[in-house]
Amino acid sequence: MSLQAVVLKLQEFWAERGCYISSGYDTEVGAGTMTPDTFFRVLGPKPYKVAYWQPSRRPDDGRYAQNPNRVQKHNQFQVILKPIPSDGQLLYLDSLIYLGVDVRIHDIKFDEDNWASPSLGAWGVGWQVMCDGVEITQFTYFQQAGGIELNPNSLEITYGIERLAMFLDSRNNLFELEWGNQISYAELKTEEERQFSIYNFEFADIESLRRLFSHYQKEAERLVTGGLYLPAFDYVLKCSHTFNILDARKAISVAERTNLMAVMRGLSHRIAEKYVQPAGGKANG
Amino acid sequence: MGDLLFELGVEEVPAHSVADILVQLRNQFHAKLSQYLVPYRDIDKAATHRRFMIYITGIPDRTQPRPETILGPAKRSALDERGHPTLALKKFVQFNKVKMNEVVEIQTPKGLYMGIERINEGEKSDQIMRSIIPEILAAITFPKTMIWNDSRVPFIRPIRHLLVLFNNRPLEIEFAGVKSSNRSTGHLLLSDGYFEVKSFKDYIQYLNKNFVVLKENERRQKILADVHDIEEDLDGRVAIDEPLLEYYIYSNEYPVVFNGRFNVKYLTLPPEVISTFMIQEKKLMPVFAADGKMLNAFVGVSSIPDENNKVRQGNERVIQATFEDAQFFWDMDGKEDFFSLRQNLKNVMFQKDLGSYYEKSERLLSLIELLVRETGNDALLDPLLKAASHCKNDLLTRMVREFPSLQGIIGGLYLKERNEPEAVWKAIYGHYQPKGFVGEKLDDLGSGLLSICDRIDSIAGLISRGIKITGSKDPYGIRRDANAIIKIVIDFRLNFNLQTLIDVAAANFSKKDAELKKIRLTLGDLFHVRIENNFREILKFRYDVVQAVMSGSGSDGSLNVYEIFLRAEAVANMVESPHIDALMALHRRLKNIIKDAGSHPFSESLLQDKEEKILFDVFRESKERIGDHIRQHEYLLASSDFLEMKQVIDQFFDKVLVMVKDDDLRCNRLALLQRIDELLSQIANFSIIVEINSGGKS
Repeated sequence: MSLQAVVLKLQEFWAERGCYISSGYDTEVGAGTMTPDTFFRVLGPKPYKVAYWQPSRRPDDGRYAQNPNRVQKHNQFQVILKPIPSDGQLLYLDSLIYLGVDVRIHDIKFDEDNWASPSLGAWGVGWQVMCDGVEITQFTYFQQAGGIELNPNSLEITYGIERLAMFLDSRNNLFELEWGNQISYAELKTEEERQFSIYNFEFADIESLRRLFSHYQKEAERLVTGGLYLPAFDYVLKCSHTFNILDARKAISVAERTNLMAVMRGLSHRIAEKYVQPAGGKANG
Repeated sequence: MGDLLFELGVEEVPAHSVADILVQLRNQFHAKLSQYLVPYRDIDKAATHRRFMIYITGIPDRTQPRPETILGPAKRSALDERGHPTLALKKFVQFNKVKMNEVVEIQTPKGLYMGIERINEGEKSDQIMRSIIPEILAAITFPKTMIWNDSRVPFIRPIRHLLVLFNNRPLEIEFAGVKSSNRSTGHLLLSDGYFEVKSFKDYIQYLNKNFVVLKENERRQKILADVHDIEEDLDGRVAIDEPLLEYYIYSNEYPVVFNGRFNVKYLTLPPEVISTFMIQEKKLMPVFAADGKMLNAFVGVSSIPDENNKVRQGNERVIQATFEDAQFFWDMDGKEDFFSLRQNLKNVMFQKDLGSYYEKSERLLSLIELLVRETGNDALLDPLLKAASHCKNDLLTRMVREFPSLQGIIGGLYLKERNEPEAVWKAIYGHYQPKGFVGEKLDDLGSGLLSICDRIDSIAGLISRGIKITGSKDPYGIRRDANAIIKIVIDFRLNFNLQTLIDVAAANFSKKDAELKKIRLTLGDLFHVRIENNFREILKFRYDVVQAVMSGSGSDGSLNVYEIFLRAEAVANMVESPHIDALMALHRRLKNIIKDAGSHPFSESLLQDKEEKILFDVFRESKERIGDHIRQHEYLLASSDFLEMKQVIDQFFDKVLVMVKDDDLRCNRLALLQRIDELLSQIANFSIIVEINSGGKS
């Protein structure tokens, strides 16, 4: 099954189950969780069901297009169900069946993996879903976001699209995947992976990035103080991505890591609070 | 007599929590049933990561009838002056649904009351069950909890069903927004879905048919038997990692062992790296040939039978990707100049307030130099200085960042790869070992010496910053580090004074005399307690033997762990021998007379009586020889030589009065006995050995 077929099927499946289908965000994010469609929707009392395809950047995971299973930009399919349905696991298994997985002949395991994003002040409890030893999904019951206790809680299902397509297509190497209509993953992504790996590991200018981080941080602070929490959040995302490149460059010491994390966590918390109770306006979410 | 079948159906509970939760459940049931006076014959329990089962048999329908007294109003307010019931008494009678003629007078310490005495016919057990089960579930504690529904009850994972059958009839309860029923379910992927349970027998049969092996032990046996078959097929030995086996048992309702192969080209990676990636990353077990070489095979546990080989093929694909990652880390790290990584350690914090790892490696240099000299291993000095400088460099490798458990090992392997001398790379490789007092003995002396220095530096640093170990709290592993030091000293027979190393380690963190004294004292106490504890609990030395060799030990400010160990071993032998009674009696007699005596000078010229002169002559003559034996750790010889003085000591006690009025004379005799006591105490304080009746052991 091609990568785009996986996405199309998942969109269909979750649209039929009441989700609005969103697009991925247009700023670099490390995971679908960081997209406003998740970060803001899980806050506050209003029920939401949303699903979207989100390309996600992990600079440290780059392998110069030489590793069969890892890339610095991979694709996630993110589903948020709020409140948590009582049959979430079965719904999820149904989605695998819809993709054509015979769940009776594969070893599907819900393996403890408690997700946390210290920079977003967010954490949840759940599993990585393993299928014949491959992690295909992260399944999380959200407990907190932006440092705010959630009520009601949300279920987050994050499919790794490449992993899923490889599994469905019995591929050993993600570059052998078909993206769609006879265009291969390798054709579209090899050069991108090679160049970004060089950039992330060797070429990125540490001093410039440090300055950028500090500029983004100041801008986020200015915006959130001015009540513009949505643009402020964009700048937190830029901080986070800059941090990730610095980290791939091994330019962040342990003490610095703690400090920078605290900066981003503090900003996320202020933004979340503004969203839940905007000054002078009615409560959101 | 009835039975209760209880099953808590949950979404996948983390494997490491299952056994503990089951024990808590069982204990809670037991406690609540006792509290409510419900007798029962037996509690059976079993759990998987998706269900917790409790089955209680021999429960009566009602609790035992028992006499019951219900106090009403005091007599003077219950009856009016004419002896007629007042309103208070009428209300009491009405409330308790009895007739007025059932009311009797009851004598209490507070005076005469009106009330009812009757036989309580017992409460219905099913009603008790209904009220205690929610209490039991609410009382369970978890390492981490979550909220998933409106009830906002925290639990470890969402509860999906509550099966409660009392005498095969469903009992209605509710917990965390989940209502009980008579339904259960089988294997997540292979069962026919929910089914109605009619009895315990029915329940067990259904689970059997629906791919649930309910009992932990049966799952363990099934896995081990399968592994054994695969070992024969592969002609190899599967390295069964106990924590991984526990994980398999508690994360599969129907465990099926499978195996697979990987490309031999990955065997060029070090086996330590391959094992770590397999076990920690993929939860698969490595396989070894008879000669100990790693095979290009793995063994894992699936939750379904793998008749279509899908599980095997999937895992073969994923392990290849995992090894590609390992290869990537290995190659990337290999491109770096390992020695120059040391400079970057300046940016890596060791502990808050204790500086960087670079500074730690600097401190290790002076410590290792001292230790090498103190233990007479001068030939190791140069390689160990090099190892100490670079032993923390691997903290900056990708491999260790990914798998912290590879620290030390990776540094060693990279240096081995670069053809560094064995004495250098092996020291780094093993310096995080052993993990404590138990565990494998190190095979390389250099790694033992480096490990001691690394750990003494950590302990001294943490203690200098006021970190305390109390009760079960030891977040920095200070006890574990001290235990490991003691183990290394004993394993390698390192005959040296640990106190000198402690002094230098402490001086690295404080220059103030008073502070330094305090650190030294705390460290000394720590080691004394650790030695006592490990000797008793792990080496199984008798309590009194440990006390006897520890008492007085270190009074001269020294701490020779190996010597204490040898004395403990010798005294442990002696207490099994017939000589011990004589030594104990002798030492008690000495201790008794010199206790509270203060210290006195001894002068030969003050000796008066024949017996004391003989005793002094014999003592002077033996002292040297016994002292030599002690210095050579020949404690058995030393004590049997000491016993040769027994006759003259006894004669001295028989004939010479110590506590004479003459001060000079008395003090001189006490001084002589003190010197004899000091000599014997160098072996042990035999006076505190506990007498054991002949033929019996403690």
